[in-house]
Amino acid sequence: MESEKKARNKLSRRDITKLGLLSLFNQSGMNYQRMQADGWTFAMIPSLKKVYGDDKKGLIEAVKSNLQFINTNNYAAPLLMGLEASLEENGEERSTIDGLRVALFGPIAGIGDAITWYTILPIVAGVTASFAKQGSILGPLVFFIVYLAMFLARIPIAHLGYSAGTKAISKIHENSAIVAHAASVLGCTVIGGLIATYVQIDVVTKIQVTSSHTISIQKEFFDNIFPNILPLGYTFLLYWLLKKKNVNPVTLIILTFLLSILFSWMGVL
Amino acid sequence: MAVTLTQGILIAIFAIIAGIDFWLEGFYIFRPMIVCTVTGFLLGDLKLGIIAGGLTELAFAGLTPVGGTQPPNPIMAGIMTVVIAHTTGHSPATAIGLSLPFSILMQYIILFCYSIFSVFTKKADEYVAKGEFRKFGMIVLLPTVLVALLYSAFSFLSVYGAQNLMKTLVNSMPTWLSHGFTIAGGILPAVGFGLLLKSMLKVKYVPYLLLGFTAACFIKFGNLMPVAIIGASLAWIEYGREKKEQEVNKKFKNMEKSLENVGGEEDGI
Repeated sequence: MESEKKARNKLSRRDITKLGLLSLFNQSGMNYQRMQADGWTFAMIPSLKKVYGDDKKGLIEAVKSNLQFINTNNYAAPLLMGLEASLEENGEERSTIDGLRVALFGPIAGIGDAITWYTILPIVAGVTASFAKQGSILGPLVFFIVYLAMFLARIPIAHLGYSAGTKAISKIHENSAIVAHAASVLGCTVIGGLIATYVQIDVVTKIQVTSSHTISIQKEFFDNIFPNILPLGYTFLLYWLLKKKNVNPVTLIILTFLLSILFSWMGVL
Repeated sequence: MAVTLTQGILIAIFAIIAGIDFWLEGFYIFRPMIVCTVTGFLLGDLKLGIIAGGLTELAFAGLTPVGGTQPPNPIMAGIMTVVIAHTTGHSPATAIGLSLPFSILMQYIILFCYSIFSVFTKKADEYVAKGEFRKFGMIVLLPTVLVALLYSAFSFLSVYGAQNLMKTLVNSMPTWLSHGFTIAGGILPAVGFGLLLKSMLKVKYVPYLLLGFTAACFIKFGNLMPVAIIGASLAWIEYGREKKEQEVNKKFKNMEKSLENVGGEEDGI
């Protein structure tokens, strides 16, 4: 086995930092045929060049094998890139490297999406929007700082992938279900809060009981059952349509507009 | 107030930067929170930009480009919400609705790009096979440049070219119609939250959703921080519990295995 591994050049810490920053270009050549493959390869080339040195034939083979369908989360990409760089450096078999990349990009995309799009974004958006709605510059400012930090996090993420090697990746893989579970708990709690705070449906219709007394449907009826019950109900209706009936989101946006305009015309909302 | 030629050009330049950022998902300046704020600043009405940013960001909270899908375009939604509110004097909530056609049109343009950019992959393969990595890099970055050009043209035409048409159209709307748009602006986040739930809600997470919802209904505080803290605590508890369960399961499996081994040996005897 040992004889099959070829001696390769070592990557420095700076090379891995550069790889983390280059992961920004992961989506630069995005297309439906092989998604991020071209951008992914573009980011990997400087590291591969260094690893292969004078071995031009080996380099071309390595670059070629990167040009395969890949579609992963953009913050998970540097992790996988770092891992691949360490495998190339150790002179692992081509099939091992390709196999690991193909096996891992899906699962780590799942956990990456759960954390970045479904947990961090709703929380950051929810908190900063409450500042922004009052016209405070703090809203966009905090938003920008958080995502600047997220961008810089690509560097330690790439280092993590590089130093972790296969062993730690299998550990991450083992724990990914638990991490995703905890992230979903946090995400769902916050989305519950977001529904109550940001979806606004107020019925303005009033029922005339006597000539001097009217009942507001919103205040005396819906608010007495539970506050924000209409926003919750409508969100669940949309969820049901999206999930069970596979309705296109754009259709639901248009439906929401038509209903709003209809109820506005009728004087209900 | 009208948009001047200089403002139109400045917004188009900003649209290029945000467009590249969205294509690469780099710094998240493509999110409506930042796009609205910057557009407001360029139009000389920073406060309007910030308030619109808070509203539009939430309306787009669930419309995320996960797994290579394309949501209605957040950049055009952000720019046009502020531009329409600024030029017609309508509230940002009404303007969100009116910005939607621009946003959906841009979404389809990007989707078209995803398909069309597949033509570059063949050329990319050829350059790699010949070891011409510089040319390969150029062909990988070409889609990014083309997308940037599309953004500049589309945003300039929408912001500067179509403003008189927009203004007449918007100002001739009857009140029930513009009020309908305002209502829709308030309900629109429900579509986003429905989409978030589609990808993360399972039956076991419904209690957390309800906890977050109830907490937000009754905790009167300026932002969602308390709900986020409650969610983080619940996630923490769940993480510990699942971790323990995993360890117990592992122990059980090991025990079972050793028992089986013992049994196997006895059979052998």
